[in-house]
Amino acid sequence: MLGYICGRIFALMLILLAVSIIVFSLMHSVPGGPFDERKGRLPPAAKANILKKYGLDQPVWKQYINYMSHAVRFDFGIPYQRPHTTVAKLISKSWAITVQVGLTTIVVAFGFGILAGIYAAYHQNSWVDTLVTFVSSLGVTVPNFVVAMWLILIFAVSLNWLPMGGWGSSGQCLVDKYFCTDWILPVIAYAIAPMAIVARYTRASIVEVMGEDYVRTARAKGLSEIKVMRKHVLRNAQIPMVTALGTEIPNLITGSIFIESTFRINGLGKYFVTSTLNRDYPMIMATFLLVAFLWGILYLLTDIAYTMIDPRVRLGAKSLS
Amino acid sequence: MGFILFLALFADLLSPFAYDRVYFDRVLLMPFEHPEHPLGTDEVGRDYLSRLIYGARTSMMVSLSVQMIALMIGLPIGALAGYFGGAFDFVISRIIDIMTAFPALLFTILIISVLGGGMPTIIVALSITSWIVIARITRAQILTLREQEYCTAARGLGASEWRILFRHLLPNAMSPILIAVSFGIPTAIFAEAGLSFLGLGVNDPIASWGKMVGASNAYVRVYWHLALLPTLAIALTMLGFSFLGDGLRDALDPKQKIRV
Repeated sequence: MLGYICGRIFALMLILLAVSIIVFSLMHSVPGGPFDERKGRLPPAAKANILKKYGLDQPVWKQYINYMSHAVRFDFGIPYQRPHTTVAKLISKSWAITVQVGLTTIVVAFGFGILAGIYAAYHQNSWVDTLVTFVSSLGVTVPNFVVAMWLILIFAVSLNWLPMGGWGSSGQCLVDKYFCTDWILPVIAYAIAPMAIVARYTRASIVEVMGEDYVRTARAKGLSEIKVMRKHVLRNAQIPMVTALGTEIPNLITGSIFIESTFRINGLGKYFVTSTLNRDYPMIMATFLLVAFLWGILYLLTDIAYTMIDPRVRLGAKSLS
Repeated sequence: MGFILFLALFADLLSPFAYDRVYFDRVLLMPFEHPEHPLGTDEVGRDYLSRLIYGARTSMMVSLSVQMIALMIGLPIGALAGYFGGAFDFVISRIIDIMTAFPALLFTILIISVLGGGMPTIIVALSITSWIVIARITRAQILTLREQEYCTAARGLGASEWRILFRHLLPNAMSPILIAVSFGIPTAIFAEAGLSFLGLGVNDPIASWGKMVGASNAYVRVYWHLALLPTLAIALTMLGFSFLGDGLRDALDPKQKIRV
């Protein structure tokens, strides 16, 4: 087990190295740089000075080594778009917001998704089941910025109940600057797709488990319905749910680009877009490394969670496919 | 869905106006406000109905060509890697590992930021990320089919490696691949609309639903139609294509469950 985890972490390190090399060489292979003059020309000496200050006068491989030796100490340099702060500070500030968006969404999506899935599985072919199936096929296919736009049109424009955008700036909050009215629309818009996936997974796995012999045995020996559900059905239905959780959480924590853009939230996704538009190398590199790192770690954690839920799963064994 | 394809093909004939024709005196008309513009005009005075119709063309062109390119690259690479194994398979598998190590969307944005915006770049960038899916599925299919009895039989009869691969394995591997392609179309539609929505997609004045949604964000308080119509178009098209994928899956491969 420990050896397996070490192996996975080593593989993750190699992938991070590869990602960093690819991104670094891509960013440097294009003509043009952040200090190319469009309007007035700088005196050559001044330009040489700026390039020297940012280390851009050295060969690419040297820039890369220089960068990576700082990056392992969490020093990602200075973002070109905001020279008065550091990349690490800007990312931690904006990522805090993205994590707030993501975590709230996860709680909402998984809470309601699992409840809806359980209810639909226990009341198959009822109108709730039909509704859950319908909403989930809609939620999986329709992009979240489209849903976001519809929510804005209904609840912000025509009903005027909720603010159109922002994050923690509406002034009506539950706790200080958290859980404000302007959290509601982004979280719903963002939660619908994962909620749909979770509900589908939960429903399918519960329906499957309920058909098993051991559930019938449990019922036959006179266990109460609640106990059957808690001890036998849900426990075995957890595995597919964890799969859904494992694939959705990395998406949710990192990828709210569209939601942030629609609701004007200053999170990581928004800075990622502005930094690609401005060719802000340090920001892009740091964001990419962070995202790749998080993805790897979260997938590893999911695999470890499997073994805790289901003792039959052995990690590191050769899989068939 | 057929309707969307029809709109895309005959956009020139169907649209009442050219997509980039600007009427400076008819800016931001509401639907039915002017008899010549049944769905109103946008913020610079372009007929909204025409732009919606041309948006179908952009969407279809990007998504279909991306999937075609992905198929043309991913299928042979996946098949060769799966069938022959060895060093080639190792390299391809590592590339797939690396590409799946972070969200495809971020990678697409990175490529676009390197190559610059515009329709050809988007097609290239999306193809680079979507051939992976096809290659992975093809490789897995070939790996399992390679061990089947009919393959051994064909080899026993003296068929060449290439003949086994092309005559025996690929036709049997085709249905999951086709299903993956059909699910890839809505993914590509989403990607194009999303990138254009962020301002990283097709350039002006080409009409794109995603860009229309993005532009409408500032006017949504009053001119609700600017936001509602393109979002409806995106949603209906994506629903249509994913139903096509579902239908195709049920028809071709009742047992298989592919998640793309």
